[in-house]
This record gives sequence, C-alpha cells and structure tokens, in this order.
Amino acid sequence: MLQKTRDNSLRPLRRALRLLWRGVREWCGDAAYEQYLRSRATQAPTEAHLSAEEFYVERVNRRYSRPNRCC
Amino acid sequence: MKRVFRIAVWTIVAVVGAGALAKIALHRGEPINAMWFVLAAVGCYLIAFRFYSAFLAARLLVLDDTRATPAERLDDGRDFVPTNKWVLFGHHFAAIAGPGPLVGPTLAAQFGYLPGTLWLIAGAIFAGCVQDFVILLFSIRRNGKSLGEMAREEVSRRGGFIAQIAVLAIMVILLGVVALVIVNALKSSPWATFTLAMTIPIAMLVGLYLRFVRPGRVLEASLLGVALVFFVVVAGQWVAESPSWAAAFTFSGVALTCALIAYGFAASALPVWLLLAPRDYLSAFIKAGAICCLAAGILFVRPNILMPPLTTFIDGNGPVFSGKIFPFCFITIACGAVSGFHSLISSGTTPKMILREGHARMIGYGAMLLESFVGVMAMVAACAMSPGVYFAINSPAGIVGSSAEAAAHAISGWGYALTASTMTDLARSVGETTLLNRAGGAPSLAVGMAQIFSSSIGGPRLLSIWYHFAIMFEALFILTVLDAGTRVGRFMIQELGGRVWKPFARTSWVPGMLIASALIVGMWGYFLYAGVVDPLGGINSLWPLFGIANQLLAAVALVVATTILIKMGRLRWLWVTVVPMIWLVIVTMTASYQKIFSANPRIGFLCFAQTLGTQILAGKIPPEKLADTRRIIFNQRLDAMVTAVLALMILVLIAEAIVQWYLLLSKRKPATLHETPYVATAWGENYSGLAHGDD
Repeated sequence: MLQKTRDNSLRPLRRALRLLWRGVREWCGDAAYEQYLRSRATQAPTEAHLSAEEFYVERVNRRYSRPNRCC
Repeated sequence: MKRVFRIAVWTIVAVVGAGALAKIALHRGEPINAMWFVLAAVGCYLIAFRFYSAFLAARLLVLDDTRATPAERLDDGRDFVPTNKWVLFGHHFAAIAGPGPLVGPTLAAQFGYLPGTLWLIAGAIFAGCVQDFVILLFSIRRNGKSLGEMAREEVSRRGGFIAQIAVLAIMVILLGVVALVIVNALKSSPWATFTLAMTIPIAMLVGLYLRFVRPGRVLEASLLGVALVFFVVVAGQWVAESPSWAAAFTFSGVALTCALIAYGFAASALPVWLLLAPRDYLSAFIKAGAICCLAAGILFVRPNILMPPLTTFIDGNGPVFSGKIFPFCFITIACGAVSGFHSLISSGTTPKMILREGHARMIGYGAMLLESFVGVMAMVAACAMSPGVYFAINSPAGIVGSSAEAAAHAISGWGYALTASTMTDLARSVGETTLLNRAGGAPSLAVGMAQIFSSSIGGPRLLSIWYHFAIMFEALFILTVLDAGTRVGRFMIQELGGRVWKPFARTSWVPGMLIASALIVGMWGYFLYAGVVDPLGGINSLWPLFGIANQLLAAVALVVATTILIKMGRLRWLWVTVVPMIWLVIVTMTASYQKIFSANPRIGFLCFAQTLGTQILAGKIPPEKLADTRRIIFNQRLDAMVTAVLALMILVLIAEAIVQWYLLLSKRKPATLHETPYVATAWGENYSGLAHGDD
C-alpha cells in the first residue's frame, strides 16, 4: 500500500487520511482482531489462536466485567 | 530565536487566558458572550498542560520513556495491547466522559455562571487532572493494577477493603441518580420514550450482526446502528403526533422506574454481546459526535450568556437543589472538575494499553482537561437560555407548582422574568406537552443545545428535532452507564460474596449471577424509586449524595497516591496531591455534615424526616398520604445513614493512611514499593503503535 502512493504528490494527505482511518478503527475496536492476530504471531506463533467470532465474544465479555464507563 | 518565539507564544496564551478569565469574573451588567468562556478555559488548559503537567511529569513522577510499559512486556493482544497515543487518548476520554460533566454544571448554574465555571477550570487543573495522571502512572508501574489492589498493597489490607466498598457504594448511588435523570427527561414524553425504547432493538440488531454476520466489524455495524437511531429520533415525532401511539408511549415516573429496573436486570444477566456491547458502541459514536457538534455550535453561534454571574441562590435557598455555594457548588459540579470514578479507568484499563510512560501526561492529564471543557460547554448551554426558563425546567413541583401559571408567578417573583406562555410555547416548539419540573439537568441542557443548534442549522422549525436528538444522546449514554455499571456492580457483589462463600464468586454460576444482579438492581432501583416519589424532586437529595460519594472516592485515590509518593521519597512535592486531598476532605465532610444534621429541612435529611414526623403527629397529613409520607421519612433516614457510613469509611481510611505515613516518615517502617522492576524498552524512539502492519 505505502509503496504505491510514494510517487504521488498527494502522499502527505493520503498518509494523514490513512492514519486517521486506522486510528478510528483502532479506537472503536474494529481492528481488535487484527491486532490480536498480529500480537499472537509475534508473542506465541506456535499456539492456536481464537477465531474472529470467539475472539469478539471473549473480548466484550472481558471488557464489560470491569469499570469501563464513567459517570 | 526559536526560544524567543516560543516564549512570546506562551506569553500571549497566558495573557489571553488570564484576560478572558478576568473578563468573566469582573463582568457585570449586559450579557457576556460565550466566547469569553471558551477563551478563558482553553487559555488556562494550555498553560496548565504546558507547565504544570510538565512539572508533574519531570519532577513529581519522573516519567521514563526508556522503561517498558505493561503493554510491551505482557502483550497478549487482549487486555495488554500496545496502543497509539492518540487512539488511547480517544479511548480513555470516551471511557471517562459520561453524563456527570453535562448534568453537574447544568445544576450548578443555579448559583450563576461564575462559581461553577471557575471551579470547573481550577478544579480540573489542580485536582482532577492530577488525580487521573498520578493514578494512571502508578498503575502503569504496577502492571495495570486496580485502585483497590493498589490501596491494599500500598496502604493496608483494610484500606483496600474500604476502597472496594466505597466503589460499590458510589456505583449504586450513581446508577440510582443517573436513572433518575432519565426518568425526569422521559416522563410523559412519548417522543423521547419511543426513541429510547427503540434503541434497545437497534442495539440487539447491531449485536447480532457483530456476533454472527461479520464478527467484530464494529465500525460498519455501529454506523448502521447510528443511522437507525437517527431515524427513530425523527420517527418519534410521528409517534408523538398520533394520539393512539402517543398514549402507548406516555409513562409516569413510577412506570418508567419499573421499566428501567427490568432493563437493568436484563442487561446484567443477558449475554454482553447481545445488548450491552453494541449499545456501548452506538453510544460511543453518538457521544463523540454530539460533543463535537456542541463545540462547533458554540463556536459558530457564539451565544450570549443570559444568566447573571451570581444569583441570589448562593445563600442556600436554590430551587434546583438546596445548600450554600460552599460546599454544594463543588459537590454538584463533581465530575467536570474532579471525579473519583476516573481513578477506576486510570487504573486497570488504560494502563494496560499505554505505549510509553511519557504518553501518560497527555492521556492522564490531557483527557481530563478535555472533560472539564465539556463541563464548561454544558455550563454555557445552560446559561445561554433565559434564567426564567432554566429555573422553570429545573425546579420541582413542590417549590414552583406544577402549572405554567404558578411557575411563572413564582419564578418572576424571584426576579427572573417569565411568562406562562413562554413555557407552553417552548414546550410546544420542542414537541413536548410540558417542560416544567424536569429536574436533573438533561432536559435543560437539551433545550440549551437545541437552541444553539437550531440557530446554526434549521431555525426554529428544527428545534424539536434538535431537542430530541439531544435528549436521545444524553439518555442513550446514561443508559450505557446504567447497564455497564449494573454489570460491573454485579461482579463486585459476586466478588465480595465470594469472600463469605466461595461458589458465589463464580461468574458463570447462574443462581449466583441472578442473585447478584437482583441485589445490585434492587439497590439502585430503590434509590431511583425514592427519588421519583420525593416531593422535593429526588435530585435535591440524590445528586448531592452522588457528588459526596464521587468526591470521597477521589479523596481515596489521592490518599493512595500520597502514600506511594511518600514511599518514593518525593516529599518535596507532596503538596501536589495533599492539597487537593485536604480540600476534598473538607468539602465532602462539610457537605455530609450539612446533609445529615442541617436544621433546614430542605438540606438536612434528618430535619426533613423530623418535620414530616411532626406534621403526621399534628394530623396535618391527609390519611391517604400517610403511607407515602412514612416512606419518605424512612428514605430520608436511609439517605442520612448512607452519607454517614460513607463519610465514616473515608475517615477510617485516612486515619489508617496517616498512621502509615507517620511510620514511613519516622523510618519505623521500611518504605517498600510494589512497583514492577525496571525493564528497558525494545522499541525505537519513533515507534508509535500505528506504524506497523497494513490494513
């Protein structure tokens, strides 16, 4: 992806938009499974990992069992 | 040259901030423009962030970017996820910003705009941000331990236990009072009730999509949900206009109370993915959008502030809630200036995701500055409407009467011009039958927001849509606090119960789950019910109770932080946490004492109970109201007891901590910190967490 846009004059703008998009996806949890796979690949490459559905259910279960929303 | 330029820029920021602050403080006479509030707040925040937080980072906490954070050392892709600084800022801000900074300043506007605005700014800079920042760092250095665990390890076992009980107590009161805010906004409003009720099936639809159709694709599912929510806001108008549908969605306060209790129980017991999580995603998007809209609206419209700087109600006879400016202004503002609840997010969730210690300054200190700014915007929205209207919306029927004529007469008598037709016209133009006696801050904030929005887009014709959009936004994320809080409260009860009888702590054990859910819902439901039937409008007794509990929790967090700082040997800078801690203790203890023992029946719980008791004895209460009155007496005594127990617990914790401080300072006890040992980071200086991988 990055290589393709390198010779383009709009590169800084595209890069900023891509960063923003990536930021929004990470902020809302859209990219959580990708982050998990990436983390597993580096931390424990040999172990089996969860499927997208299992991961999602496990993630929301953990997330909502401790204070995560304030007054 | 660069240095000179930088000094010049910061001097300008300082002068503008101080000038705007002076303008707000000294201005008398004509209405002042809201831009002065924005300038004063932003100027102060920039200076505080640039200098005070830099001082805290360098001298008090000595942040070390070479030290590996828990997210790096323990990376598991689930809880411990290295996260980009700005993404985590958004995360942390979405977690800490709730209804508190919107409701608190709106209620405190009854003293006039000045005291609340000053405390929002000063309290955040010197207390709220400091608390969030230090607790965040201490938790980072302890692998993301929670406040309760840190209290147990660093102060004492009993300290940890007290902190845990305090958290549960504030949770119960918080849930009761935010539920009351929803009830007051929804009662006899078919439009708002329909919209909010429809968000439940919408959330379930989003939940099913996220579970079965495209697991975990939060963005697309939430956008779909947000579009549906906007649609039901508009559709609510059709419901309100159809007599038969309107009747089906018109509920009394007590009926809404029962519905909310049933909802809370269901949200706690149902699978998280079905209702709680998708609703939270929706609410996060709508919250972010609505706050940006409010900021843009204020900048674009630049409304005039019609509320005077100080009203006559600083003497303690305010209709919205009673009590003098000290301590009740501080208790009422609560979250926007300093919120003990933030220490639960700053410990536990955020520290497990932070990339570098240095980011704690922006995330801990900076996010709270932004929350304080949300509080200032709420203050602006409340003060930009005519004071007469503000008081008519927020005063309980027991004080101004329940008809527009009576309210107009009473409020004009206080010196705030209001005609009965103003209120009936306003109610009609926002699509409601009445706006009177809707204490709780949400409706008046919605009117304020709607007036600001409609003067930029749509004009008076869209006022009703904007109003219901604002109500939906507030109600939606209050409901999120309600169901997320109920669930967390359920786990806390199960954990506490597990100390007595082990199987109870197993979260998958169905009877335990049902009992714990019923207990937590029963507790906040009781406070909610008591608030709904309270003749003085439950906000008068419940919001201060919530404020006291919240500020006490902040005092607990600062006590824990001070103990850790003593152990770290940072004695020279100890005032940073000790001064706000002492202030919070003074404020909360004064408020607790007055709420329990004041001889004014509108302030003192016991005095009000006694007044009613005397009336019963004198035969002044009609027989059909006897049972209700007895129940109110019981509720007042219960409130007094809860306040007393909370205050007492905190005093015990502080006594415990002072003993520890004495032992540590006199070297009778070795200072053993429970920090994790230093590990150097393996990441390069430019690693931002977003740079790797592609999408």
